[in-house]
Amino acid sequence: MFDFDALAACMSTSACLVNQATSGLIIGMLLFLVASGVTLIFGVLHVINFAHGSFYMVGAYFAYTAYVVTGNYFLAALVGAVGAGICGILFERLIISRVYGQNLLMQLLVCYAFILIVDDLVKIIWGAEYLAMGIPAEFRLPPFRIAGGYVPPFYLFLVAVAVCIGVGSVLLVTKTRFGKIVRAAALNAPMVSALGIRVNIYFALLFGYGCALAGVAGALAAPVRSLTPGMGLGILVESFIVTVIGGMGSIPGAFLAAIILGLTRSIGSVGFPLFVDGAMFMIMALVLIFRPTGLMGQGEPR
Amino acid sequence: MSLFIEFRRDLLIALVGLVVLIAIGLGIDHAWPRDFLTSIFAAALLAMSLNMLIGYTGLVSFGHAAFFALGGYIFGLLLQSPAFTGALGAGSVPVALVAAVIGTGVYSVVIGAICVRLTEIYFAFLTLAFQMFLYSVILSWVDLTGGDQGLMGGIPRPVFLGIDLADQYHRYVFCAVLFVACVMIMRIMTESPFGYTLRMIRDNATRAAFLGVNVTRVKLICFVVSSSIASVGGVILTLFTSGAYPEWAFWAQSGEAIFMIMLGGLNVFLGPVLGAVVLRILNDVVQMYTSHTEIVIGVVIMFVVLGLRRGILDFVKDWWVEKQQARLAAENRNGQE
Amino acid sequence: MKKTSPRSRPGMDRRTVLKGAAAVAAVGTAVTGFPAYLKAAGKPIKIGMPTILSGRVAILGESSVASAKNEIRKINEAGGIEGRMLELVTRDSRAKPDEAARMTRDLVNNEGCDIIIDAEASGASFAVNEVVRDMKQFCIHTNSETSSLTADPKNQVEWVFRSCRQGIHDAVGGGLVAAKVAKAKGLKRWATVSPDYAYGRANTAEFMEYVKLFAPETEVITETWPKLFQPDYTENVTALLNAQPDAVYSCLWGGDLVAFFDQASLYGLFDQFTAFAVNLGDYPVLTAIKSRPAGVYSGSRYHKDVPNTPENEAWYDNFMANSNVLPTNWAWQNAAAINFVAEALKKTGGDTDTMKMAEATSGLTINSPFGVDGTLTIREEDHTLVNYMVGYSKTIVDEPYVVDFDRTAWSEIYTHEAEWKKRNGYM
Repeated sequence: MFDFDALAACMSTSACLVNQATSGLIIGMLLFLVASGVTLIFGVLHVINFAHGSFYMVGAYFAYTAYVVTGNYFLAALVGAVGAGICGILFERLIISRVYGQNLLMQLLVCYAFILIVDDLVKIIWGAEYLAMGIPAEFRLPPFRIAGGYVPPFYLFLVAVAVCIGVGSVLLVTKTRFGKIVRAAALNAPMVSALGIRVNIYFALLFGYGCALAGVAGALAAPVRSLTPGMGLGILVESFIVTVIGGMGSIPGAFLAAIILGLTRSIGSVGFPLFVDGAMFMIMALVLIFRPTGLMGQGEPR
Repeated sequence: MSLFIEFRRDLLIALVGLVVLIAIGLGIDHAWPRDFLTSIFAAALLAMSLNMLIGYTGLVSFGHAAFFALGGYIFGLLLQSPAFTGALGAGSVPVALVAAVIGTGVYSVVIGAICVRLTEIYFAFLTLAFQMFLYSVILSWVDLTGGDQGLMGGIPRPVFLGIDLADQYHRYVFCAVLFVACVMIMRIMTESPFGYTLRMIRDNATRAAFLGVNVTRVKLICFVVSSSIASVGGVILTLFTSGAYPEWAFWAQSGEAIFMIMLGGLNVFLGPVLGAVVLRILNDVVQMYTSHTEIVIGVVIMFVVLGLRRGILDFVKDWWVEKQQARLAAENRNGQE
Repeated sequence: MKKTSPRSRPGMDRRTVLKGAAAVAAVGTAVTGFPAYLKAAGKPIKIGMPTILSGRVAILGESSVASAKNEIRKINEAGGIEGRMLELVTRDSRAKPDEAARMTRDLVNNEGCDIIIDAEASGASFAVNEVVRDMKQFCIHTNSETSSLTADPKNQVEWVFRSCRQGIHDAVGGGLVAAKVAKAKGLKRWATVSPDYAYGRANTAEFMEYVKLFAPETEVITETWPKLFQPDYTENVTALLNAQPDAVYSCLWGGDLVAFFDQASLYGLFDQFTAFAVNLGDYPVLTAIKSRPAGVYSGSRYHKDVPNTPENEAWYDNFMANSNVLPTNWAWQNAAAINFVAEALKKTGGDTDTMKMAEATSGLTINSPFGVDGTLTIREEDHTLVNYMVGYSKTIVDEPYVVDFDRTAWSEIYTHEAEWKKRNGYM
């Protein structure tokens, strides 16, 4: 099952190191974008958005259509993010807000129902066939060569966007007035609303922002991944692994965990190709056993 | 013996239930009710055993189907091994059944000992991780498990005590007996003092600990029993499909069991059974009329959660209790006048 | 709600009443299932088809259904079989083997289907195989290409057939073409990137086995195994880059292949080595890939120019006119299956008895636009389809997307298939 020779051979060449390290980063960053939405929503609202993968899918499909219509990828990515965000706000207002404070299973159930409905709607609207956006003209460049390794320009852009958004999310929550109000409201909603602040709107906006992050991830993935109904499911499970390993509620934790997972995938594909998934779940189990709150999560496990 | 007397009414109901089930299966000259009920037995055992954790103990497991799949795989693999059936002959099926339950039980002791120390979402995610780990192992260990194709080539079922499980009538009755026996075990577990200890832990684990309950041990026992019963569900499905498949260990299978519980009602003993029946019927009926099954099932779940805000039987139970109270209140008023 | 709890007599305790209610509900629901069964006692010959209609492979299931429906329409418009119409009943298994097993039982027992066309992919098709064995139900598998389904005696059933490609046939064909190209271009170091499941592993091993057999100087230097439906192939692409092979083989398919091609193009993979992709030649894949590289060797799936006959052209036009999806490999395989069923029914005089149908189908040859010389045959010895189009084309950027079809002769395939069977102890 393990191929240490291949691993050692890879580690000894700079080309292979660069290739695997960058591919780990690339895989990790898209996961991070989705997971940061999950963790942000959980950290503030204490609901687990099991339907987060659907917003990733919706973002990708919106971006696809916008790209087909306008031919401008940056505009398309924006449409994907905003579209997913609006869907998120609607989902929060109409559905999730009704199960705030209810047990975990009720949240799980409405999210599952939502996933089913959205998957079918996507199939009705866009059809079941594989859609591919293709690499936008701006990025149709030969890959950069770094120390013998290959780095496609589009992936550099992707990583840069993900890092900026990650930093932006942390700042949004910790530094802005919006973030402070939301955090205060999460701790004591009646108190905050007594100050004349409409708490519900803030909750909805935060939820929408989290979904927009998934939408961005979808839009960033759309040029290189094929679009099909049900595409959100695969990334959903991985983003939960990231969220749990990093610590529920911690954005830096999600960042760290996403990189760990990305590297596990990229190194695993060389060293233990048939057990990459097993290894990911093993890491998750180990973290939960020895540090249930995750690598950077705070507080006691409840 | 005292168990007998204490649960005589439940035993009687179980017996009547079994007779009714067998009568349906043997009395109707059509395979559909047998097929339908057999698949319900499997799904309902998974859901009911999971509800011992969720509904009675307050432990939300996302990884219960692992034990369901493990039971099916142990049972199927043993019977597919010529050495095993050769050595045991007519005893193969019962021994394989016992081995599946005990094997799963032992595995669940290990997993449970690690998991039950955690609570809430951490418990949920840890059970999920172990389930997906098992799923990866089943997929990767192709030589033993057949990987994604599952156990192929059919599962031999040597005749024992005149019971031929290749015969659909025999198989149905055998599965019905297994099902009712497992339900009875769960009934006794949940209605005994042990069952009330579980409820106490669910409602307030700290208080239970103060009262001298070894919370971890009680949780572990419950975990192991419910896992073992789930494995019987896996055995039934293995008999029914004449194979075992890795999808049974996938998280979606656990998810489906949770939906059955939530749909039927988690505070009523037979709620998960109703959930299993409703989900199946819904799926089958919708399939007859539209290919957009997902959207319809999604809307129904949405309605149950947001409309009823609880499972169907929970809803009925609450409605019934309310009505009774209203009646009592009315009687009291009348009495005062 | 309403009257769910009957006879709520005082004195009976809550628990008992609830049990009664549950029993009533169970019986009630059991009854609602029956009308479908009674409904099924009509005249048409019912063909049940479990397939995949949701999730990532829905397109293939949809094209299977569209194609089967279209053939049935043609047969019915021509008067049906002995005056009886054919009717298709489909079920969505969501690619779950136990669902496929249950749906198949349901199609026979509840819908009263006389014939099962199993349009499931690998895993679920094995489950259906066991069900129809158990139920003694005539069945044709139409989509699972895994060789062992019909080649391995332990999976063979007297009344079960396969009307689709078989991995080993494509492997021999692919091996021959690839060896020719390898010799001409000096491709010695090979790498593979295939999905990590039974079909992917078996198909890749078989393909490379034949490349090595026909071009002994070749070697496989690296293998990378993405998961089925993996969204991202970056680590696999870089693994290929690290190995720097001369040529790459892949049996990725569907949306996975689309994503792989677009991601590999980012790294300029197809500028660096020669690529062979057995499943590339399917219309929905070819049309979806945006950065379609030229010069990739693509296995035969379904194409309107393969075979380049007026019959095939006519079938393609008819399909396009009557369907809202593109024709796929699964489409022609299901069309062929319906044609086999119709031909067998003509032989039995419309009798759907399992053994009579099995006897009529075994060794049956029909006229078909998909055959090498206008005919297809279900071979008697192992109940699998032969004489369909096997070979490789080369991609070009624009329509018709693939050209220069290099067909493999069936005589070659037969020889090597027989040896392969012996090696595996199948005969």
